[in-house]
Amino acid sequence: MSHKAQIVIEGVTHSYRPPVGRTVVALEDVSLTVNEREFIALLGPSGCGKSTLLYLLGGFLPIESGRIMIDDKPVAGPGPDRGIVFQHFALFPWKTVRKNVLYGLERQNFSQDEREKRAQAFIDLVGLSGFEDSYPSQLSGGMKQRAAIARTLAFDPRILLMDEPFGALDAQTRSLMQTELLDIWNKTRKTVIFVTHDVQEAVYLAERVAVMTARPGRIKTIVDTRFDKNDPDIFKAKPFIEKVDEIWHLVRDEAIKAQGKRVR
Amino acid sequence: MKRALFRYLPLVLLALGWEAASRLELVSSLALPPLTSVIAAWIELIQSGELVTNGLSSIYRGAAGLFLSIIVGAALGIFMAWWRPLNVLLNPLVELFYPMPKSALIPVTVIWLGFGDGSKILLIFLGCMLPITIGAFNGARSSDQVLVWSARSMGASRLRMLWDVVVPSALPEMLNGIRTALALSFILLVSSELIVARQGFGYLIGFLGANGSYEAMFAVVLTVAFLGFAADRGYQILMQRLLRWRE
Amino acid sequence: MARIDDSFSTQAKTEGKAGPRLLGRLGLGFARSISIILLFVCWEMAARSGAVTTFMLPSLSLVAEWIWSDAVSGDLLINTGATLYRAIVGFLIAAIGGIVLGMAMSRSAAVSWLFDPIISVGFPMPKIAFLPVVILWLGLYDISKISMVVLDAIFPVVTATIIGIKGVDREIIWSARNMGANDREVMWQIVVPAALPQILTGLQVSLPIALIVAVVTEMMMGGYGLGGSMMTASRFAQSPGVFAGIVEIAAVGFCLVKGMAILRRRLLLWHQEALEPSTV
Repeated sequence: MSHKAQIVIEGVTHSYRPPVGRTVVALEDVSLTVNEREFIALLGPSGCGKSTLLYLLGGFLPIESGRIMIDDKPVAGPGPDRGIVFQHFALFPWKTVRKNVLYGLERQNFSQDEREKRAQAFIDLVGLSGFEDSYPSQLSGGMKQRAAIARTLAFDPRILLMDEPFGALDAQTRSLMQTELLDIWNKTRKTVIFVTHDVQEAVYLAERVAVMTARPGRIKTIVDTRFDKNDPDIFKAKPFIEKVDEIWHLVRDEAIKAQGKRVR
Repeated sequence: MKRALFRYLPLVLLALGWEAASRLELVSSLALPPLTSVIAAWIELIQSGELVTNGLSSIYRGAAGLFLSIIVGAALGIFMAWWRPLNVLLNPLVELFYPMPKSALIPVTVIWLGFGDGSKILLIFLGCMLPITIGAFNGARSSDQVLVWSARSMGASRLRMLWDVVVPSALPEMLNGIRTALALSFILLVSSELIVARQGFGYLIGFLGANGSYEAMFAVVLTVAFLGFAADRGYQILMQRLLRWRE
Repeated sequence: MARIDDSFSTQAKTEGKAGPRLLGRLGLGFARSISIILLFVCWEMAARSGAVTTFMLPSLSLVAEWIWSDAVSGDLLINTGATLYRAIVGFLIAAIGGIVLGMAMSRSAAVSWLFDPIISVGFPMPKIAFLPVVILWLGLYDISKISMVVLDAIFPVVTATIIGIKGVDREIIWSARNMGANDREVMWQIVVPAALPQILTGLQVSLPIALIVAVVTEMMMGGYGLGGSMMTASRFAQSPGVFAGIVEIAAVGFCLVKGMAILRRRLLLWHQEALEPSTV
């Protein structure tokens, strides 16, 4: 797997300065390299700054110190080269599914015809055929997330940023969506940065798992989780369970620290 | 303290701008007398007693009308929530009269009770009742079912339950309804006094205007406007105190 | 049982009993009419009973006659038209101005700082007290009436617009930026539609205020209009005229509010809570 480094994060520190109250340091001196077409998970306890790192990658928050380079160019704001998928879907509620998906395409150089075709193709890909003209309020949680994924995939970003996308779904839907996501990734081979606090999900989906410390967050360890994911009983397979266990222990200490800080 | 000053600074600038525009005749100083002369006129009005006499008259009317509307309105709203038949009977009427501009009642109250205190009190009573009734009704309706059941299981009689459980949980929405009614009472009071009165703030404003004493007129206008603002702020503080247990 | 609001449609959800919706609808329509009919009956009976003079409470038939003759002579149309003209023009100016100001205040900290105290102090003030000042400046013409309407009706719109814009989920804005939308596109294509429910609520509060103020200014200044004609009737001690005015103004108010509610439903088809807000 000799893919070149696509995303380089170096020494990034980020703080939140609310108008009232103390400054919170969310990330401290974070460094990470992500390779092209890689699927990497950011794992850590609540408040460890993993979402913040994602927002910095997406260009939604300004980079105060350190740097983030994507394809050797510094990040300078949001853009369609990095598509984001949020936990609470962030669909435009006044637009139908189709219109939502078309929104990103309208800003690209496609003809009207191509846009419609592409939109439909991605709606079909995520399994929402027949619901193109529904409004988000008419869809279930799982369907909304599929719509959000279709919308992001449609404008063909090379990098996918996913912020606990299945966190708001029930357990059954979640595991279905996990398999589907892996499927889509295998087909489209984008670089994916996936934020989660669920160890099993991280080990199942990702090729590498970056474990983060409690706040202020930094990268604690990176664990390799590449193995054959096609086994339908993978969750019971020995290598899988061992990996989960290994990572769980790494996370556990951080989780306790995160709790302890709040108790104070 | 410093933050409050910064926040209200634009008003200070506005006041300065007023003074400047008037003194420098950027606008006709007849139409917009300088702020300082308005203040001077205000002091005169206080000293002559005119402002106080009329003011007390207005405040009496407003308070009386509001007080009555709170008592009757709240009782009505709570009982409508408590007894279905009453609700079914009165709900359509409430819906019918809610969008009606209450100021339309001014001529009627005058026909019934003349130019004096009575008509104003009646007007405010009738006009302010609905928001309070609706607030009390909605508040009582949302009275936590669980609270009611636990009170019931502890053997509380219906009347007792009403007092101990329903009224307190109805309080927030009812208090909001009263806040709306408070603002409405000022509007109705001033409106009716401007049009049909022989005493009171509104009457005084009209009288001074007709006389050409514009500085004094401005003074009374600002007094009333400020009282309305102060009443609302004061009420908000009261509301917060009363609702402290909620948070 | 329904929360008190202006929607006819909530009753179907709230009756709680199983049963065909149509029957439920008819049932409530029936209950409503019963109350109103009862009201009319009581009115007529009280008027005829002699307990109060005809002057104090003219009978329903007298009032109805008055309204009828007004309608026939064209006066009703003229007066209603005049009042509606002032109320609606004022409302539209307040709506557009209020939304623009609200948007400006949301975008610029300086504009927000400048107008915030004016709005928060001005909102609870009985601005009707400024009517004599407005008359002093602008005379006894329509423009004073309309200015007064604007002055009163603009506050709820500004406040609602600011709340609506502030309340827009930042993730929606980020998604739009993610897809390449620039500042202008984000404002008009994303923020405004997302804030629309709240803005419409503000407009729904503002419209009845516009009507009230229009009526009061007419009462003060006389002339054409429902308020003016009511004052004239009261000056000539014609109580059927006064009561007729109440009925007419109530009807106009009712129609405006209902109209606004229908407009809201149309515009917000997509909104999950398709219920109208409770109007307290």
